[in-house]
Amino acid sequence: MRWFQRANPTLWTLLTPPTVWALHFMVSYVVAAVYCAKADGPFSALGPARLTIGVATVLALAVIAAAGWQALRHAEFAVAERPHDDDTSADRDRQLGFATVLLSALSLVAVVFSALPALLIWDCR
Amino acid sequence: MTDAPVPAPLADDASRRAQEERLLAVWSAGKGFRYWAAVNNTEIGLWYTATAFLFMLFGGVLALLIRAQLAVPENDLLSAGLYNQVFTLHGTVMMFLFAVPMFEAVAILLLPQMLGARDLPFPRLSAYGYWCFAIGGVFVCGSIFFGAAPDGGWFMYPPLSTDTEQAGIGADIWLLGLGFIEIAAIAAAVELIVGVLKCRPPGMRINLMPLYAWYVLIIGGMILFAFPPLIAGDILFELERMFDWPFFDPARGGDPILWQHLFWIFGHPEVYIIFLPSIALLAMIVPTFAQRPIVGYSWIVLAAVGTGFLSFGLWAHHMYTIGLPAISLGFFSAASEAVAIPTGVQIFVFIATMLAGRVIFSVPMLFATGALAIFVLGGLTGVMVALAPFDWQVHDSHFVVAHLHYTLIGGMFFPVLAGLYYYFPIAVGRQLSERLAKWAFWLMFTGFNVAFLPMHLTGMRGMPRRVFTYPAGIGWDWLNLISTIGAFVFAAGVLVVAWDVLRPRRAPSGRNPWNAGTLEWLGETPARSWGVRSIPHVSSRYPLWEQPLLVRQVEDGRWYLPDAPEGLRETLVTSPLDAKPEQCLRIPGDSFVPMLAAALTGGAFILSTFHLFVPAAVSAVAALLVILQWLWSVTRAPEVESKDVGAGLRLPLYASGPASVGWWAMFITLIADLSAFASLVFAYFFYWTIHPDFPPSPPAGPGQFWPLLAAGLALAAWVATLLARSRNGAGSTVGLRLWLAVATTLAVAATAALVWGPWTTGLDPTVHAYPATVWVLSGWAALHLLIGVVMQLYCIARSAAGALTARHDIDIRNTALYWHFAAITVAVTVAVVALFPLVA
Amino acid sequence: MTSQTTRARRPRPNGVVLRAAAIAGAGLLAGGCDGPQSMLNPAGTEAERVAELFKVMLVGAVLIWAAVIGLAVYAAVVRPGAHPERHASALIVCGGALVPTVILGALLTYGLQLMPSLRAESDGLRVTVTGEQFWWRVRYTTPDGAEVTAANELRLPAGARVELLLDSPEVIHSLWVPAIAGKMDMVPGRTTRLVLEPTRPGLYRGVCAEFCGPSHALMAFAVEVMEPARFDEWLRREAGPATADAPEAGRRLFLAHGCGACHTVRGTEANGVVGPDLTRIGSRHTIAAGILENTQENRERFIAEPDAVKPGVRMPGFAMLPAPDVAAIASWLGDLR
Repeated sequence: MRWFQRANPTLWTLLTPPTVWALHFMVSYVVAAVYCAKADGPFSALGPARLTIGVATVLALAVIAAAGWQALRHAEFAVAERPHDDDTSADRDRQLGFATVLLSALSLVAVVFSALPALLIWDCR
Repeated sequence: MTDAPVPAPLADDASRRAQEERLLAVWSAGKGFRYWAAVNNTEIGLWYTATAFLFMLFGGVLALLIRAQLAVPENDLLSAGLYNQVFTLHGTVMMFLFAVPMFEAVAILLLPQMLGARDLPFPRLSAYGYWCFAIGGVFVCGSIFFGAAPDGGWFMYPPLSTDTEQAGIGADIWLLGLGFIEIAAIAAAVELIVGVLKCRPPGMRINLMPLYAWYVLIIGGMILFAFPPLIAGDILFELERMFDWPFFDPARGGDPILWQHLFWIFGHPEVYIIFLPSIALLAMIVPTFAQRPIVGYSWIVLAAVGTGFLSFGLWAHHMYTIGLPAISLGFFSAASEAVAIPTGVQIFVFIATMLAGRVIFSVPMLFATGALAIFVLGGLTGVMVALAPFDWQVHDSHFVVAHLHYTLIGGMFFPVLAGLYYYFPIAVGRQLSERLAKWAFWLMFTGFNVAFLPMHLTGMRGMPRRVFTYPAGIGWDWLNLISTIGAFVFAAGVLVVAWDVLRPRRAPSGRNPWNAGTLEWLGETPARSWGVRSIPHVSSRYPLWEQPLLVRQVEDGRWYLPDAPEGLRETLVTSPLDAKPEQCLRIPGDSFVPMLAAALTGGAFILSTFHLFVPAAVSAVAALLVILQWLWSVTRAPEVESKDVGAGLRLPLYASGPASVGWWAMFITLIADLSAFASLVFAYFFYWTIHPDFPPSPPAGPGQFWPLLAAGLALAAWVATLLARSRNGAGSTVGLRLWLAVATTLAVAATAALVWGPWTTGLDPTVHAYPATVWVLSGWAALHLLIGVVMQLYCIARSAAGALTARHDIDIRNTALYWHFAAITVAVTVAVVALFPLVA
Repeated sequence: MTSQTTRARRPRPNGVVLRAAAIAGAGLLAGGCDGPQSMLNPAGTEAERVAELFKVMLVGAVLIWAAVIGLAVYAAVVRPGAHPERHASALIVCGGALVPTVILGALLTYGLQLMPSLRAESDGLRVTVTGEQFWWRVRYTTPDGAEVTAANELRLPAGARVELLLDSPEVIHSLWVPAIAGKMDMVPGRTTRLVLEPTRPGLYRGVCAEFCGPSHALMAFAVEVMEPARFDEWLRREAGPATADAPEAGRRLFLAHGCGACHTVRGTEANGVVGPDLTRIGSRHTIAAGILENTQENRERFIAEPDAVKPGVRMPGFAMLPAPDVAAIASWLGDLR
């Protein structure tokens, strides 16, 4: 099994999607802030900054989608019904997997929201 | 599949009584004066809660003073100067001395109960945190009686607050109070993270954990990244006030906006650190009164983790009006709107659980519903102010005051009251009065809405915040009077609660009066000092509902640790995901040492505030010595390798390295430390962003040679420490001591080199923000090297005393862990101050 | 002043409290949007757009609050019996996740695209306002570069987009004219930019909206929006020296007592810049930064005891001067139009 097709979900895989959101957020903010701070007045166009943020967005969405897809397999929707409250390692994995699916969905939405400013605002005013 | 553990067979009456006597002897608090040496979570939790409530009442009186002054226009009840102290102290007390400590208090009191544990893993640390909080709080609150309270608003913006002429000693007292709270918060984070991940009852896998534990785990993590930026900011703030290092003075290269960033990177997660644990109480209360398990357990996990993370992307929405580019504001708007999703999810989980269950009326449910009604309104105005154009109008107006009170009262205060009525039996063994509770609720609910709903309009009619008076006839007169009346009605309700809590009462509450399903209701009420009679094996989310034999088995002492034959306090350490038993943890008993350490730590801060630096240094050194002695005394090697903990289980008594809770505590503390360091590095690059020429040319130091030399020496010291660890592991005490001695020497040399660089290149930190920042970074790294030296010397001493051996090597393993972080700190510092100027 | 509707007296047994509440409520509603400092009474493009946005958000918020809390009360009190778990789960997905995502996404998009339009380029007139403790230094710059210095009052042409450049030497202030636009902070070490586009002539009030010291509550300013032609004429006159038909006595006393060391009055030897420019103080609607009406009595009061009016003010008091001197200075200032 490839390293990213880990057999078991953990607290680390749970936290991966929101961590990717956080990194995307930081990159977007820092790129735009430094660009505008060093630029020439409030009406300087943001071209390269927006492009960078766009690329970061695509990357982030891809990683989160991958994490979510992995979590979907862990959650085993077809096999077992929620709540996953048996004291078995299978149910533990399913619960962690389901929570990770939810977090992936939220992180996707949050990354899209974060990218909207770069889409709708074109200069440093 | 593993075999399910079975409880031990029932012992005879005499044996069981003897077990109970031994447990009581070990766990009970002392009598008379010795009572105050308690470190057990039952006592500390109670004191913490009571102290936080007292501070809340104090803050409430300040609020009434504010409203009394604002009741009519051009009022002269309070002078401008006094009013400014009153509103600043109101915010400071409520946020720092009530809201955050209350969550810590409740967690300390209840988390061990919920996890079937005897106590949290570091009781003396909890005690130390409590005493720091109490001392700091008394100091901050007392300042107003001397006219020396802080008066620049609870977030004390520079340059006004760093100007020692315009902002007097109040600003230093504010910082002092914050310093204590920061210590208490980091201590709480360590306790809670380790407690939730390592001290659950056997069998309580992560998918079976009570939701309160999930929340508290997330919050512990948030504290590690939220409080350190404040710590960094406070250091810069005090260095400017005390020594005139111009971090926030634009005339000398500083920037007031840096403070705002550091403060709000703390400040926004802070309000979620306040909100989440209170909602967590509702997650425990609603299933009980819906008489069914929660619907949407994983949705709550989503909500807690999602809110926890997203809350770190909101901070600049407190800075929408300082002139940042619209695109930057846009990112914060995006996250501020996004965070409403997980926040709302929780509310729908509660409603869904109520729908799917059969709800019975109770006072906790009354407060819970009231909480939702108020909080949802606050959340909706939050969605409004998340949009920058709207906030450009209402920022710093009474609209925001209304918004923040709706979210705090609805999201924290009312849920905490729900928790008070719900958990009172566990703490005190009695019920509060239902009749008085209804009076209290309706007085508070009505009073609050009468006070704060009109305030939205007051703000939109143009009334700014923090004004000690206002002109008549602009359209604010009636609104302010109504708000004042509402505030007093609200206060009356609070008094009813206070009266109910303090009055003597009759009937005992009995066991599990609410018929709840989670473990904290396992034992008698009030909770006995031993926490649980024996530590259960758990196999469901609601053990009291789904494992009907459990209560009897636990109370009969048939599960783990039913006895204390060695006269020592013990609890179990288990694995993070599956709660497999790993260790029988011996935890320290009552002692005055934490109180003493807190007093000496307090002395160091307090004396510095009054510029008595030599006594402060003495106090600091004394505190360090006391803490070292404390550490020494609690890390005694056990007399045997392992023991039988009951129900057929045998566990080791000692662990070191990543399996040990002490290592975890060190690691967690170092994460917080690294976050603070990262904030200081952020300051350096922030200045680079705002100055076209930074570092300023001509090149001003510290040069490359001395910092790089320091880095080399520090890394060598790190390697030497690692070698010491491995030599010790191989059984060579000589090797350990030799390499530690080498490491110490190298570290001291590295410290000297780190400081020599800025010194010899003539960097004067009072001249410009650049030298000040280089000094702060170098000083921070140097301090961390010196702490590392203290640890190395400590290990040498322990080895000499025979306490540090190849088998019992926790000291050197934790020291090595520390040195990993110290090495990173020095390497990054040198890269920033020595190498970055070459490419800037 | 808020207008309060009066209610016809109707005899009611225990209606005193009810009546009082009704009057207060009616008064609130009727005066709901009023006031020279109300963002709900917009007289500028930005304020208008934001007031519209608020109305939409308010309706949405009321509906959402009623739905959510109604459902909670229904579940807890009205129909506490068990509903199918499937429905409950569906509620979490729809109500907790899907609907909020759509609504918040739409709201965010609207807010984001609104921002740039509120920071558009100006039509040419620029005003630099510097926040002091506790007053406003104002300097108009016309498109052809002429500069006119004034203080404590802002006059703007209706229908034009004016760019305000804001700064502050010592502490953070914030300039806010709710009826016209949102606020912008004045931060030492930087220059910030605020666009004001008033739409209706009239008299409005602005305030400092960032805590700046003891007299933060007493730092305001009048804003008069004028027809463009009238504004141009006003600015032309304002640029010139002070004209006073008053007796020389006031001017001599003003200079003799050192007032000119801190204040400028164009056309006299007074050229200090520490305090507000007083060249046309007589024509201002208010004095002491929006706090006192511009009357003889108030001017005298402020000259004699500024600290009693505004705690922490930088101006020293002149109560030690003989009252006739103070009166003469105040009178002369009042004639500087």
